[in-house]
Amino acid sequence: MDKADLMQQELLLDVKGLKKYFPVQSGLLRRTVGTVRAVDGVDLFVRKGETLGLVGESGCGKTTAGRTILRLLQPTAGEIRFNDPKLGWVNLERMSRQELAAVRPNMQIIFQDPFSSLNPRMTVERIIAEPLVINKVAKGQELKDRVADLLRVVGMRPEYMSRYPHAFSGGQRQRIGIARALALNPKLIICDEPVSALDVSIQAQVLNLLEDLQAQFDLTYIFIAHDLSVVEHISDRVAVMYVGQIVELASTDELYYTPKHPYTEALMAAVPKPDPRRRDRPIKLPGEVASPVNPPSGCYFHPRCRYAKEVCSKEAPVFREVTPLHYARCHFADELKLRGVVG
Amino acid sequence: MAKQAGSSTTPEGLVVRVRDLHVYFFTDLGVSRALNGVSLDIPAGKVTGVVGESGCGKSVTALSIMRLVPHPGRITKGEILLYREREKQNGHSIVEEVNLTDLDPQGPVIRSIRGAELAMIFQEPMTSLNPSYTIGDQIMEAILLHQQCTRKEAEERAVDILARAGMPNPQTVVRRYPHELSGGMRQRAMIAMALSCTPSVLFADEPTTALDVTTEAQILDLMRELQAAMGMAIVFITHNLGVVAQMCDTVAVMYLGRVVEQAPVEPLFYDPQHPYTRALLRSIPHVGSRTKARLQPIRGVVPDPYATIEGCPFHPRCDYRKPGLCDVRVPATTQVGENHTVRCFLYTEQGEDNG
Repeated sequence: MDKADLMQQELLLDVKGLKKYFPVQSGLLRRTVGTVRAVDGVDLFVRKGETLGLVGESGCGKTTAGRTILRLLQPTAGEIRFNDPKLGWVNLERMSRQELAAVRPNMQIIFQDPFSSLNPRMTVERIIAEPLVINKVAKGQELKDRVADLLRVVGMRPEYMSRYPHAFSGGQRQRIGIARALALNPKLIICDEPVSALDVSIQAQVLNLLEDLQAQFDLTYIFIAHDLSVVEHISDRVAVMYVGQIVELASTDELYYTPKHPYTEALMAAVPKPDPRRRDRPIKLPGEVASPVNPPSGCYFHPRCRYAKEVCSKEAPVFREVTPLHYARCHFADELKLRGVVG
Repeated sequence: MAKQAGSSTTPEGLVVRVRDLHVYFFTDLGVSRALNGVSLDIPAGKVTGVVGESGCGKSVTALSIMRLVPHPGRITKGEILLYREREKQNGHSIVEEVNLTDLDPQGPVIRSIRGAELAMIFQEPMTSLNPSYTIGDQIMEAILLHQQCTRKEAEERAVDILARAGMPNPQTVVRRYPHELSGGMRQRAMIAMALSCTPSVLFADEPTTALDVTTEAQILDLMRELQAAMGMAIVFITHNLGVVAQMCDTVAVMYLGRVVEQAPVEPLFYDPQHPYTRALLRSIPHVGSRTKARLQPIRGVVPDPYATIEGCPFHPRCDYRKPGLCDVRVPATTQVGENHTVRCFLYTEQGEDNG
């Protein structure tokens, strides 16, 4: 099946050429002196019911990409098409505030830090009820019942609803955040580093919960994280970002075991494996991550790439399908024999 | 300049020994038992991992050894022994045992040890470097305090140690301020500062947690290199079992203020004995395992530090608990293999007094 066929029935989200630039201002008059290319041409699609992992190092634009897809930020360029269950395919980038309000219940977000993403002055009941109240879904006893249901769904006792966030541990707060995201029966949830702030034993509880909820409510996730073992565990497909661009996108197995972009290879070699008998030396990446204000010429990764040839500094590679549904942005993706996570 | 730590130890090859250490924090909300009988051996010239979840006391253990427990915390019981080499007049050296718990935490003896023999690096290099001094000034401060040399010599040493820490252009970096460096470079500066007086023990408290994975790999590689070259012991505090597996020779697993298992790294990962260690290893996704098997979380939550738990601290979450035993008494530390100890009633009938 090619992408056009998939498009009609199976896809939930289709993003093309997405860009989000921020101006760099300086001086007394706040003159614009440059541009941060936080998201610099992102193409991706998401199938209904799947989990797409979005990985990359800090500053690569993965969070900005997630927020721009939800139109929490206004895109600079590009197309964000969402398959709304009622409205059908809609172009989010063109919608007005009022039009967006009709689509928003289907797109939710879970944040990284459960300590700052819940209002400390609101009870758990008000936090979870807020989306239901704003969208006039329920009120009175019905509202209370719905909040109680949501708390049960995320594995918490409804009796806790009159408490304030400070009374809960990190894992419980993250459950509250998940309950709030679920309140309006969304289709798509962007999980922005949802377990990074949690202890290891609690991470597993929340990851299992997210998997259970996905099966139970037919959810689709974009799972943004920097922890490659968590992403491997939860994702069906994975996209790797570097300096505002997706450099590789493939099924989890292909991306982890037969990567086609040198940056993915370096990432895989860098993951500290929890096995003392497998101590690999990391691949040395010279220099630092390129600045999104002033990215290098040609391929953004070429100054750090150990396979770089002359063409890499001159021509920017295109993001292309190297093998079926395995996309990479590298001139030599067909030729390079790269090492995956097992070595 | 490197002091070979291998020669400065007791017959057992230890550089620090912690015995039954209790550190309590006397707060308005009650007494928080941060450390509740920690026993830990730190071998000289090796990398010891200390793992555990937040609040288990791994950072407090390091701070206690440095005698830097913040107010309102106090060492209430136990001892910390440092084995240091002392030269005698006839050229022979002897190993001197210093009981750090006896020292005044602000007194001259600990101040001559701290920074010189015991050094520490922290998780967040931005908050642990002083933003208003240059990198060079901050490295030179320790050198000038502990070694007899001029400012010029101290600056030369600062440049030298920055270069060893893999800092590009160390001559210019000494004049830079912390905000002018990236996260990875700041951590290199911190490491340079900690190693400037060639300590015999370096405490590294989550040194790579705030870093990206490729930067983390570089810093870990650097620490391995410097450890091999300078021969100090590293106490690597982390919650990341991957980092432990890659870095450590021996590992101590902590839970609620106690070391529940200590073992060389291979038996710890391949033959863990304590139910908490086993549960922890099962709860994490193993990268490259190719299995989509469901994770097995540890049930319940880490109890709050003010709570007092009778018996073994892990028993409320443990699948193997024996009622009438585990919830009544604290298991004694038991030897189960070579350098492998565990505190669990699966391996001993012997208990200790609670608290």
